Amino acid sequence: MALQSEASRYYFGYFWWILEPLLFVAVFYLVFSVFLKTRQEDFLVFLMCGKLPFIWFSKSVSQASGSIMANAGLIGRIDIPKTMFPMAIIQEGLYKQSMVFLLLFGVLFVYGYTPSLLWLWLIPIMAVYYLMIVACSFAGAFLVCFMRDFTMFISLGMMFLMFTSGIFWDVREIGSPAMTDAILTYNPMAFILDAFRQVLMYNVTPNLLGLSLNVVAFGLLLACMIFLIRKNSQLLALKSLTA
Amino acid sequence: MSDISKNPILKLEDVSLSYRSNNPDVTDGTHQVLDSISLDLYEGETLGVIGSNGCGKTTILRIMAGILAPSSGNVTRRRGTSAALLSIGLGFKPNASGRSNAMLAAMLQGATKGQAESYLEEIKEFSELGIAFEEPVKTYSSGMMSRLGFTTALKTHVDILLIDEVLSVGDAHFKQKAEKAIKERISGSQTVVFVSHVSSQVQELCERVIWLNQGIVAEDGGASEVLHTYAKHIRIA
Repeated sequence: MALQSEASRYYFGYFWWILEPLLFVAVFYLVFSVFLKTRQEDFLVFLMCGKLPFIWFSKSVSQASGSIMANAGLIGRIDIPKTMFPMAIIQEGLYKQSMVFLLLFGVLFVYGYTPSLLWLWLIPIMAVYYLMIVACSFAGAFLVCFMRDFTMFISLGMMFLMFTSGIFWDVREIGSPAMTDAILTYNPMAFILDAFRQVLMYNVTPNLLGLSLNVVAFGLLLACMIFLIRKNSQLLALKSLTA
Repeated sequence: MSDISKNPILKLEDVSLSYRSNNPDVTDGTHQVLDSISLDLYEGETLGVIGSNGCGKTTILRIMAGILAPSSGNVTRRRGTSAALLSIGLGFKPNASGRSNAMLAAMLQGATKGQAESYLEEIKEFSELGIAFEEPVKTYSSGMMSRLGFTTALKTHVDILLIDEVLSVGDAHFKQKAEKAIKERISGSQTVVFVSHVSSQVQELCERVIWLNQGIVAEDGGASEVLHTYAKHIRIA
């Protein structure tokens, strides 16, 4: 319903779901491939495998973070679980992202990357990534209710993640294996984006230990956030109504 | 009139609500909205709440509905009772149609998708919105909004109906129709809390009235007595 009404507001409607991420990719491509002449092989595919999943995360988390505040009108009328608002945004994002992934597969195919059985690893990778999105969105929405200033930190954080997670550069080609290891271990975003690329471009199985550690970490964060949001439901309502 | 059971359906004990404010003019930086309010609400009763703007009428309804928790004091609602707050304009998705909004509201009040769908035609008919029912809510006038909001809450069943100023907008024809519908519901076992600053409406619909003044219950009693004191107070002030 929200998707319908959103699409009807713009002239290009549903087309924007695909167009917007593509424009982002185009800007990066122009800068790094045309201006800076990066030597990365198949840079367009490389970039899309990193940038498109990243946009899924950044858009969902940023929007979901403001979602409880944005629904003060509804919250003032009825006692509903506050997790519903970020969840609604995340589900919309999931729906849009499925179209974007279809497009990504199309581009991969055109560039000669053929699907193999190893691509089935995408399912657990996406599941872990989705868990990350939900956990971070809940945390963001909760914090923004208490202090609206967190919106600023969140957008800065997204910028930080965009530069540090190997979207337009290769984590594995920075000349120091120790640094590569450190980034992949401590930056979950870099880890996931790398896993997408390893599977889609190089047919390499993802690091299962890393994947499971991320499940544990973000699973814990999610459990804490659900508990906190449930427990403070009325307080969050008061905050959103009086902010 | 149905039997009023001895057990209150909703009980407020010493309920206070305050929140921190950034306004430097407010004493100690906290707003005291409600101050030690105690009251019982019985099944099948229609309770009127009157008072000037900003006296805490809407806040008390929100506490009754479980939307807000009191800063101190206790709220006990009988197990398994649902309460819904009906207020003007708020809570609509402006870009979605009246139909989608009614559907959403009904489902948020606990109806299943099938039940909500079955209410829709009734809602369309009673609200007399006609083709506007399919238009985005942002194109509605405030009267049309209140028609939609009122009808949706009326047609979806809740145990405690909390009505916030809704009848003060809308044209004379719809107002009459709505008052009649409320009276029908009241004569059943519907419990209603009715907030208004229009004394005649409160007189018409409620047997018991509380008057809220600056966050405390100034008077609690029969409709005519409380309204009489309230009218006197307004004249002096």
